[in-house]
Amino acid sequence: MTVTDQSQQPTATKRRSAATDKKKSSGRMMILGFLSPTLLILIFMVAYPIISLIDYSFYNFSALNPHEGYKWAGLDNYTYLLSDKALWQRFIFTGKFVFVCVSLQMIIGIFVGYQLQKKFKGRDVIFTLLMMPMMLSPVVVGFLWRYMLNSEWGVVNYLISSVGLDKVSWLSQTTPALFAAAAADTWMWTPFIILLATAAFRGIPDTIYEAAEVDGASAAYKFFRLTLPMSAPVLFIALILRLIDSFKQYDLFFALTGGGPGSSTETVSFAVAKTAFNYFYTGEASALAVILLFIIIGLSMILVRHLNKMGDKY
Amino acid sequence: MAKVELKNLSIEFGAFKAVDDVNLTVADGEFAVYLGPSGCGKTTTLRAVAGLQEATSGDILFDGQKVNDLSPSARNIAMVFQFVSLYPNLNIRENIIFPLKARGVAKAEIARKLDWVVDIFKLGGELKRYPSALPPGTTQKVALARAVVRDPAVLLLDEPLSAIDEQFREEMRWELGHLQRELGVTTIYVTHDQREAMSLADRIVLMNDSKIVQVADPQSMFFEPNSEFSGQFIGSPSMNFVDLIPMGTGFRLGDSQAILPAEAVPENVRTSKQPIRMGVRPRDLQLIDGAAPIEIELPVEDVFSVGRERFFTFKIGDGIAQGVDVRAEAHGPANSIGIRPEGLKFFDAQTGHRIVTHEAAA
Amino acid sequence: MAAVTQPRSAYLTRWFILALLAAYTFYNLGPILWLLVSSFKGRADLFAMPPVWIFDIDTSGYESVFGVGAAAGTASAYGVVDALINSVVVSSIGTVMAVFLGTLAGYVCSRYDFRGKGDFLFFVLSTRMLPPVAVLVFYHLMFARLGLADTRTGLVLVAIFANVGLATWIMKGFFDGVPKEVEQIAQVNGYSRMYAFIRLVVPMVRGGIAATAGFCFIFAWNEFAFASILTTTKAKTLPVKISAASGATGIEWTQIMSAGVVLIIPVLIFFYLIRKHLLMGMTFGVLGRS
Repeated sequence: MTVTDQSQQPTATKRRSAATDKKKSSGRMMILGFLSPTLLILIFMVAYPIISLIDYSFYNFSALNPHEGYKWAGLDNYTYLLSDKALWQRFIFTGKFVFVCVSLQMIIGIFVGYQLQKKFKGRDVIFTLLMMPMMLSPVVVGFLWRYMLNSEWGVVNYLISSVGLDKVSWLSQTTPALFAAAAADTWMWTPFIILLATAAFRGIPDTIYEAAEVDGASAAYKFFRLTLPMSAPVLFIALILRLIDSFKQYDLFFALTGGGPGSSTETVSFAVAKTAFNYFYTGEASALAVILLFIIIGLSMILVRHLNKMGDKY
Repeated sequence: MAKVELKNLSIEFGAFKAVDDVNLTVADGEFAVYLGPSGCGKTTTLRAVAGLQEATSGDILFDGQKVNDLSPSARNIAMVFQFVSLYPNLNIRENIIFPLKARGVAKAEIARKLDWVVDIFKLGGELKRYPSALPPGTTQKVALARAVVRDPAVLLLDEPLSAIDEQFREEMRWELGHLQRELGVTTIYVTHDQREAMSLADRIVLMNDSKIVQVADPQSMFFEPNSEFSGQFIGSPSMNFVDLIPMGTGFRLGDSQAILPAEAVPENVRTSKQPIRMGVRPRDLQLIDGAAPIEIELPVEDVFSVGRERFFTFKIGDGIAQGVDVRAEAHGPANSIGIRPEGLKFFDAQTGHRIVTHEAAA
Repeated sequence: MAAVTQPRSAYLTRWFILALLAAYTFYNLGPILWLLVSSFKGRADLFAMPPVWIFDIDTSGYESVFGVGAAAGTASAYGVVDALINSVVVSSIGTVMAVFLGTLAGYVCSRYDFRGKGDFLFFVLSTRMLPPVAVLVFYHLMFARLGLADTRTGLVLVAIFANVGLATWIMKGFFDGVPKEVEQIAQVNGYSRMYAFIRLVVPMVRGGIAATAGFCFIFAWNEFAFASILTTTKAKTLPVKISAASGATGIEWTQIMSAGVVLIIPVLIFFYLIRKHLLMGMTFGVLGRS
């Protein structure tokens, strides 16, 4: 830079910074304008309700007669819930259900996904067909399985008895009902695991497998030492999403078992709905909803942290 | 260690013949380099030897045993791929011992072997790192370490250096040749880079259009090409070619006015009924200074020096040919160029085959 | 593929795998076929044991669903038509709004770095994670207070909020696939950022917008938890109507089967249209970008 230029430099800088300022402010306008509608809706529909929910959870009141009494209850709702055996039963049932159906989905999904990553004639058609269940309405799925699982005229029991086994009263006993619900949820959501697993497996280049083949690795060794670890990031997303979704499952049980027999197949979500809209213990339902929320938020945090890590990679 | 034989090997992809009736014997401990342009079938051949590609017909034999039906893992081979094929989820140590662990080798033996290759490749500092953290040169080193760690009978290398920086490639090439001689492992190496082939090979297998063109040691490959393709593919800059048109006492060079005196052409070529093409390497041409045995009137177009060598171009009719004068004392541009007579090669213009001259045969 | 003759055990393994795959395919596709078949069965065939495979096609389920034919004007008329209209209106408007807002938000999140972007994206994603019943406890009261209970407007609001997060994430994924140079060139040529967005970038992600709309529509269409609590009579959507067929008097299976088919047909059509983007749609645009 020459000496004579220096006199002009300040103005040049000023002009330039004015230009970037203008650019920045127009960018800020765009950010604000484009985000605020979404933000407003979410504040109104998510943040506000959740804050109110937390507030409610410290009161004893009923939505049936909201004017009658907001009685401050402190932590009573929580202590009551946590000492309530029936609620623990629901958590245990939900846990069992989550465990059974998520493990089934992961095992079947990874297996089928591994087979479907290979190219063969008609693969795409079969793949698309297999994806259908996860797009269907959980209510229809629930009723469909309820129809098929009927102990007298259900087609499932027909198939079971035709191979010589005893019929099962699927929906009128607790343990069979758990497995019935798991079967329906697995039916619906295994395709999701297949979808993600196939994508993960296909992301592994062929040369990796060829190298392993030359290195003398057996099919099983390749799968457990290379395929699974290399697709773990994607499979982890699938796992967490399924944990969240099955943990909050409501629709399916509503249609399939209606929470029965008795209240033995009520999930935590189901219990919230029942407490709030059948018994109208709104305060208590709020406390339960808060507990449910914290569990889901915890799982979501794990997912989001993982997604952020993935974001750099994919 | 093993001798590798290919007998009438053909590999077809639908209507396309990738490898067409190839016969070759690679001796025990030999370093054979498959060289050829991309798509010539060299990699396909290598994959067939590895067992990653099914042979359509013909046999592959290791030490006289047919291995066509053996899986890659049963062939006792090791392979290094063109693109990095390290296992990204395993660290360098785990990558190197993968073939041993996959075969259930005892722990003490694994540790011993690991120490051995780590020492050879000087990878001691990298063992805990992951492939993505290493530069491409080092990853290929690891791939090589993984390949030799379990003493394979045959080492297969598919353009292992092509993804590496020029600078580092030179060094790797040297190390690779050194290592192969030390281990004495039968090695088949695929490349399209003639310099790699020339510097590494005991024998070069030159392929083109799915067929083997010539098999020879690097020196013979360079000095005695058996065909126009060999002459043109090997050597840099490339061999110059020109048609010889009989004319009075000599031969006219293509569509130029320059005449090659008849005595420069061997007897059997002179009397041949076939159309003849002549090839001459640029380094067999000189900027004329009265010293050359054969002199041809061709105006030199352009000269530039690279170190001691002087590159020059000249016109033959409509075509441009290139020469390299390697003599430091060579003189400047002129209206004629000189040829070293031993540099002249003659080819059947129709088939491309070399016409063996009496001098060469002798 | 490897050129190897496999030992006997490898053949057995292959057949075993094929058998397992066939079993899974049967488990996966059987119920959908069974639903389709059963929806055309009359009452007697529906409960036949053993199940009948050949039967007279009986459309009484569909007739009572739509209140036509023999079921016209009868008390058993299922009156699904109103619910169907509610479903169409709520899902369509909800989808259009959610995709519109999601496109705007997704674009900004794809192109700008601003403070709180990560938090915003997490907040938006929370709509996908949120258990409906949790917010429903409050909605139930709020909607009553605002006069939104049992109205389509209320359900549209729910459909927007429930899908805008998904739309934002998927659209962000699609916008990430458009090179930044598009806007830079436009700006160099003197066009505004807004012009570049509307005239250049949006047309480039048309396919993505359509796919996003497909997903939002399917989710809005299937939505049950919100609709079942927030509607009582007028605004009932189809899923709610179907669930209402299981009441004190038992379950009207002929109607449920037929209504179920009516409910899933649009889903299957949209599913067919978005099948190529399934991976992206189901993972909020994180995976399967193309």
